[in-house]
Amino acid sequence: MAVTQFVVNGLLVGALFAAVAVGFALIWGVVGIINLAHGELLMLGGYVTYWLVAFAGGSGGEGSVWIALATVPVALAALYVVGYLLQRLVVTHVTDADLFLTLLVTFGVSIVLQQLAIQAWSATPRSVGAGFADPSVVLAGVFIPKIKLIAFVGAIALTLLLWGYLKTTRRGRAIRAVAQNPEAARLVGIDVAHTRAVTFGLSAAIAGGAGSFVAMILSVQPQMGLAYTLKSFVIVVFGGLGSIPGALVGGLLLGSVEELTAGFVGSQWTLAVSFSLLVVLLLVKPSGLFGRSVEEGEG
Amino acid sequence: MSRESASADAGPETTSLSRLLAALSDRAWLLLGILVAVGALLPTLGLSGFYLTVVVQMYIFAVLALSWDLVGGQTGYPSFGNMAFFGFGAYTTAILLKDWGVEFFPAVLVAGPIAVGFALVIGLAVLRLRGGYFAIATLGVLLVSIQVTRNVEFTGGASGKILFDIPPENTFYYVFLAILAVETAVALYLTRTRFGYVLNAIRDDEGRATAMGINTTYYKTAAWMLSALFTGWVGGAWGAFNTFVDPQTAYNLGWNVELITMALIGGAGTVAGPILGAFGLTLAIFVVDTVFPGWQLVALGLVIVATVLLLPDGIVGTLEERATAMEYYEMGGEAAAETTSEMGGEAAAEETADATDHDMGDPEVSDS
Repeated sequence: MAVTQFVVNGLLVGALFAAVAVGFALIWGVVGIINLAHGELLMLGGYVTYWLVAFAGGSGGEGSVWIALATVPVALAALYVVGYLLQRLVVTHVTDADLFLTLLVTFGVSIVLQQLAIQAWSATPRSVGAGFADPSVVLAGVFIPKIKLIAFVGAIALTLLLWGYLKTTRRGRAIRAVAQNPEAARLVGIDVAHTRAVTFGLSAAIAGGAGSFVAMILSVQPQMGLAYTLKSFVIVVFGGLGSIPGALVGGLLLGSVEELTAGFVGSQWTLAVSFSLLVVLLLVKPSGLFGRSVEEGEG
Repeated sequence: MSRESASADAGPETTSLSRLLAALSDRAWLLLGILVAVGALLPTLGLSGFYLTVVVQMYIFAVLALSWDLVGGQTGYPSFGNMAFFGFGAYTTAILLKDWGVEFFPAVLVAGPIAVGFALVIGLAVLRLRGGYFAIATLGVLLVSIQVTRNVEFTGGASGKILFDIPPENTFYYVFLAILAVETAVALYLTRTRFGYVLNAIRDDEGRATAMGINTTYYKTAAWMLSALFTGWVGGAWGAFNTFVDPQTAYNLGWNVELITMALIGGAGTVAGPILGAFGLTLAIFVVDTVFPGWQLVALGLVIVATVLLLPDGIVGTLEERATAMEYYEMGGEAAAETTSEMGGEAAAEETADATDHDMGDPEVSDS
C-alpha cells in the first residue's frame, strides 16, 4: 500500500524530471556540450511563474490554478529567449573547445544566474500558494493531488511536443541533421549557428516550463538548480543520450527511486542513493539502457 | 614545468621573454627556495592580523589548485570533486582533536593519509570514466560526501563541530607555507621525471600510452592519491584554523569551482600556473568582497566565463606560447622546431592538446 503511494508520487514528479532531462540531452546531443547551467534555467522558469502569479494576486484558491497554468507559456517564451542568447553570446565560443572548458563555462554561467537570483529574490524558498494542492483524487486507495496530476500531464505534454517538433517540422529535421553531422548540415545549406541557438532556446524553454510546474507543486529557490542538472545527467546516462523515450522512462524511474528512498530511508538520503546508482550504472553499462550508445550521440 | 629549455643556449637573438621564462624554469629550485624564505620571513617583518589571514588563504588555495592540477591539468582528468578530500581532511582533524584528544600536529598529519585512503576507493571507480562523465561523477562524489556527512552521527551532523585550544595564528601560517612548499617541490620534481611525462602522455592520448605498455591505471591512481594527500593535509589544517567544521563549508562546492578557475587562469598543466592563479584570484576575491560585499560569486562566475573565452591556456600557457612564437620568427623555422622537440612534456603537449580535444569528449569507459 505505502509502496504504491510512493511509486505514484515518484511517477508524478518523475515526469517533470524527464522533461528537464530531455532538454539537457538535446543540448548534449546537438550542440555537444554538457550544460551545467541547465538547472538554473529551470529555476528561472519557476520564478517567472512565481512572480506572475504574485502580480496577478492569485495565490491560493481554485482560480489561481488557471492563472498559474497561464504563466507556463510565458515561462516557455522567456526561457527560449534566455537560451537562444546564452548560446549566441557565450556557448558558441566554446563549442569546439575542450569538453572541460565547456563544463567550466556553463558552471560559471550557473553561478552567475544563481547569485543574481539570490540578489534579486533572496535565498528564501518560494512557492505558488498551496491553496490548490488539494483536493486530491483518490484512486484505489492512492492519493493523487490534482495539481500534481496537472503538472504530470503538462510535463508529458511538453516532452511530446518537443518530440513531435523534432520529428515533423523542417527546423526539427535541421536540428537532427546538425546533431548527426554539423559539417554535412552546413554543406546542404543549414545555418548551423542559428539552428544550435534555436536548439538551446528549445532546451531552455522546456526546462523553464518544467520550472513553472515545479513552482506550483514544490517550491523554487535560487540554489535549487544544481540538483536538477545532476538529476538530468543521471536520467540521460540511464536512458541513453538522444533517446526521448529513454529519458521519459529514466525520469519516471528516478522519481520513483527518490520517493521510495525518501519514504523508507529518509528524504535526506535521496541524492546519495540516486548518485550511487549513477556511478554503478556508469561502470556497468555506460551506454545507457535505451537508444544508441552515448559515443554516437557525441557527434 | 617540464622544460629543460633549449632557448638558453640559442644565442643572443632569443627574445627577452622566452629567455626570462627559460631562466626561471632552469632555476626553479633556487626560485622556490628564495620564495619560501621570503614567505617564512613575512610574519617577523610585521605581517599580522587581517593581512596574515589573506596570505594564509592564498597559500590554502595555492595548495588546492596545485593538487587539482596534478590530476586535472597534468593528467587531463578534470575533477569537480576535489573538495571531498578537503572535507575528509578537515573532519579527520576535527574528530581527532575534539573527540579523541589527539594533539594538533599528529591530527593534521593523519588527515592526509585518511584522505588518500578515501581517494583510492573512489578513484578505482571514477578513474575508469573519462571527460564529462568523470567530471560529473566526481561532482557526485562531492555531493554525496556532503549528504553522508550531514546525516551521520559522529561528524556532528548538519551543525558540525566547534574546535577549541587551537595553536596561535603564526603556527598555522607556517603549517600552510610548509604544505605549499613541500607540494611545489614534489610537483617540480615529478614534472621532470618519467612519472610526470607519463601523466602528460595520459592527458594527450591515453589509448596510445596504454598501447606503449604503460600501466595508465597505476599512474592515474597514483596522481589522484597524491592530489588527495595534499588536499587532505591542507583541509586538516584548515579545519583547526577555521575553529569550526560543518558540511557546507568543509565541502565547499564554490571553492571547488574557484580552485579549478585558479589553475586555469594561471595555466593548467604547469607548476607555477596554479600557484600564481591562486594568489591572484584569492586577492581579487578579497578585493571584490571588500568593495562589493555579496557579489564575489557573481564576479567569480564572470571571471570563469571570461577566462575560458579569452585565455583558455591560462597566463603561463599564453606567455609560453607567445615566447615560442617569437622565437620562431626570430630564429627561423628549423631552430624553432628543434626547440619545440626539446621542450619535452608540457608545451609540446599543449600543442597537441587541440588535436586531442575530441578524446576528452569521448564518454567511453577507458580500458583499465
